[in-house]
Amino acid sequence: MSERPKQRRPATFRLDDPSVVVVDAEDASRPARGAIQVTPESDPALLPVVIEPPVIRRRGFRWGTLFWTATAGLVLMGAGLGVTHLIEDLFARSESLGYVGLGFAATATLALAVVIGREAFGLARLGTIEKLHLRAAEVLASDDRAASRAVVNDLLELAHQNPQLAHARAALQGHAGDIIDGADMIRLAERELMTPLDREARRLVSAAAQRVSIVTAVSPRALIDVLFVLVASLRLIRQLAYLYGGRPGTLGMIALLRHVIAHLAITGGVAASDSLIQQMLGHGVAAKLSQRLGEGFLNGLLTARLGLAAIEVTRPLPFTALPQPALADLAKDLLRKKEEEE
Amino acid sequence: MTTSIQHLIEEARLSARALFDFGESLFNPTLRLGVTGLSRAGKTVFITALIHGLTRGGRFPVFEALATGRIGRAHLAPQPDDGVPRFAYESHLQSLIGERHWPSSTVDISELRLVIDYQRQNGADRTLTLDIVDYPGEWLLDLPLLTKSYAQWATESLALSRAAPRVHLAQDWHAHLATLRPEAAQDEQATLIAAKLFTDYLRACRDERFAMSLLPPGRFLMPGNLAHSPALTFAPLDVSGDGTAPEGSLWAMMVRRYEAYKDIVVRPFFRDHFARLDRQIVLVDALAAFNAGPEALHDLEAALAGILDCFRIGRGTLLSTLFRPRIDRILFAATKADHLHHASHDRLEAVLRRAVSRAAARAENTGAAIDVVALAAVRATREATVAKGRDKLPSLLGTPAPGESANGEIFDGNTEVATFPGDLPADPEELFRDDAFRGLSSAAADSSDFRFLRFRPPLLDRDGIDEPALPHIRFDRALQFLIGDRLQ
Repeated sequence: MSERPKQRRPATFRLDDPSVVVVDAEDASRPARGAIQVTPESDPALLPVVIEPPVIRRRGFRWGTLFWTATAGLVLMGAGLGVTHLIEDLFARSESLGYVGLGFAATATLALAVVIGREAFGLARLGTIEKLHLRAAEVLASDDRAASRAVVNDLLELAHQNPQLAHARAALQGHAGDIIDGADMIRLAERELMTPLDREARRLVSAAAQRVSIVTAVSPRALIDVLFVLVASLRLIRQLAYLYGGRPGTLGMIALLRHVIAHLAITGGVAASDSLIQQMLGHGVAAKLSQRLGEGFLNGLLTARLGLAAIEVTRPLPFTALPQPALADLAKDLLRKKEEEE
Repeated sequence: MTTSIQHLIEEARLSARALFDFGESLFNPTLRLGVTGLSRAGKTVFITALIHGLTRGGRFPVFEALATGRIGRAHLAPQPDDGVPRFAYESHLQSLIGERHWPSSTVDISELRLVIDYQRQNGADRTLTLDIVDYPGEWLLDLPLLTKSYAQWATESLALSRAAPRVHLAQDWHAHLATLRPEAAQDEQATLIAAKLFTDYLRACRDERFAMSLLPPGRFLMPGNLAHSPALTFAPLDVSGDGTAPEGSLWAMMVRRYEAYKDIVVRPFFRDHFARLDRQIVLVDALAAFNAGPEALHDLEAALAGILDCFRIGRGTLLSTLFRPRIDRILFAATKADHLHHASHDRLEAVLRRAVSRAAARAENTGAAIDVVALAAVRATREATVAKGRDKLPSLLGTPAPGESANGEIFDGNTEVATFPGDLPADPEELFRDDAFRGLSSAAADSSDFRFLRFRPPLLDRDGIDEPALPHIRFDRALQFLIGDRLQ
């Protein structure tokens, strides 16, 4: 045992021994000399645990998907038939025209294939991120070490595409061999990888909100307001998705938008009841100055709210170690920037 | 030739049974949970805690189906096999909670069926039937015998008994063995004496001070209803592997009885209870081996490797479900984690991972899911820090079982103590070297490197008329891994 000097000997103490003192954890007084002090530790297993009910995923047969698939197949076949007829007609008229038509058709098919491939890739990517989010949440609950390693590995792969994260990735990989519990590993990964991204995301959201509030305050027509808000929101969601590693195409954007809106619907009520009303009352000075300015501010807030929902949806990890950006912070940004500009 | 035909018949029987089970489970989804473990690993306590936790509703935050309330109720149902005794759940629970002592060691096989009514995540009402079997852990040691001939087994047993520290315990038997000639005429009296001395030697190896695990044949230690039958009256002889037994010799009689033992005892046991498992938890009591010494740890490793080779492991396919059921999830669990401060649980898991590495690698290659966890089905201790001079020892508070001793003092079962059991090394390899640490088998009680006291079950307050929930460590994680996916 000489090669392991740090090895401590086993020892046992009777609690009714006069030299053994049992003290509470709060009572950290120095023990008397020679006394043996026993401090019972609070038991983490007895603390109440909050369990989030899992999102109920739709299972079973998807008739809607089947319908759209079948319809798309029919449309594609119809188009194919039409194009074939057209090329046949062109060949009948003149051979050179026919070849030109054939070339166009081939190019269109190739482009369509590439577009479809990109869309599928984007959707798969979004699916991966969403699954990663769920798996990370599961690990946080179960504290499973092997699963946490798998999540972190996938996360590192995802982060590989973002060169800004090179340093953070290296730091995280340095910890890969250490003995760290599952949940702690996820928290560590969040702190390392998500901190710069969260800062950037917050900047994006407040910039978009600010732009929306200014444009809607000065725009002459309501229709322009609506269009601008729509475009700005879509752009914001796309930017956020790119930031957190997703590459959504058109279909991906539709899927994301659905998720964001669903998320807004779930959390919107809560937000409206606490922070939004507070914001309206507290910082409503602008509204008193002018109705248009107030409308602009409100639109900006709504965009920020949408941005927050989009962050929740596109972020590959749930918020645990890092604070979730709140609407109040963004509203402050919005007002401060306005004041700076004014 | 005969062995291959025997093998074919055995396989056909297993397949027929599997097909029958499959038909049954179409209407009534059934999960056979194999609770595997050597003796004193804590199988009975695990099963009792499992049933109690599911029927009463325990504190299982990680076990998703129960924690989110999707399990409507779980209740005991009449078991499927009429020829097997019922698992005495109520009396085990009474001894745990009421009398605060661990259930006495299992002497015979028993069975229980638990029916879980739950709602799937999409809202559909479903029922899952869980069949659990409890049996003496000693019997598990017989499974590796299925593939061994008498000569192989005798050679291995002799080689084992001639290594330290067993050689001292086997002196009497070795002395008698030296008087036997395998080619001599068969002699019932000599066989009886040899079998008795051999059994005594096995029993001595099992003592707490040595805690040996690799002690086949298991029925010698726990005979059940077959005590004193000829199938249990044989012993290893000093025979070479290539010779054949002359007709009418002592050797031939031993071979016959060994084969009878396999036919009467081992094969039916395997067929009825192990060939049909869906999920398996392997309970390992590593702490007893730490108490005893490195030899006990090596022995445990060898015993586990031999047993795990017998199971059919792999990802299930349709064909395999029909004809050859396989175990698709295995959890290796280091039990009695409550005898160790939680800061050391990772190290305990690492030791177990090292001890089962061969079996785990094999399981992983076949596509089965495996996991290693340190758990306590019933938690008997609380944690505390003991400050003694400058040292701060991560310790445990609990009531040692009557008869346990430390510092030369024997406890009566009522005194509470704080105990620090010793530090596990960060690198598990350190424990697997020879002479890596001193245990009870080679050193006096006060100079061993580890001392894990056995504690009495915890004192629990009844909340109202309900039975109290049993405290545990990571039991919910084990449940989630074993049956969570079938309750989605």
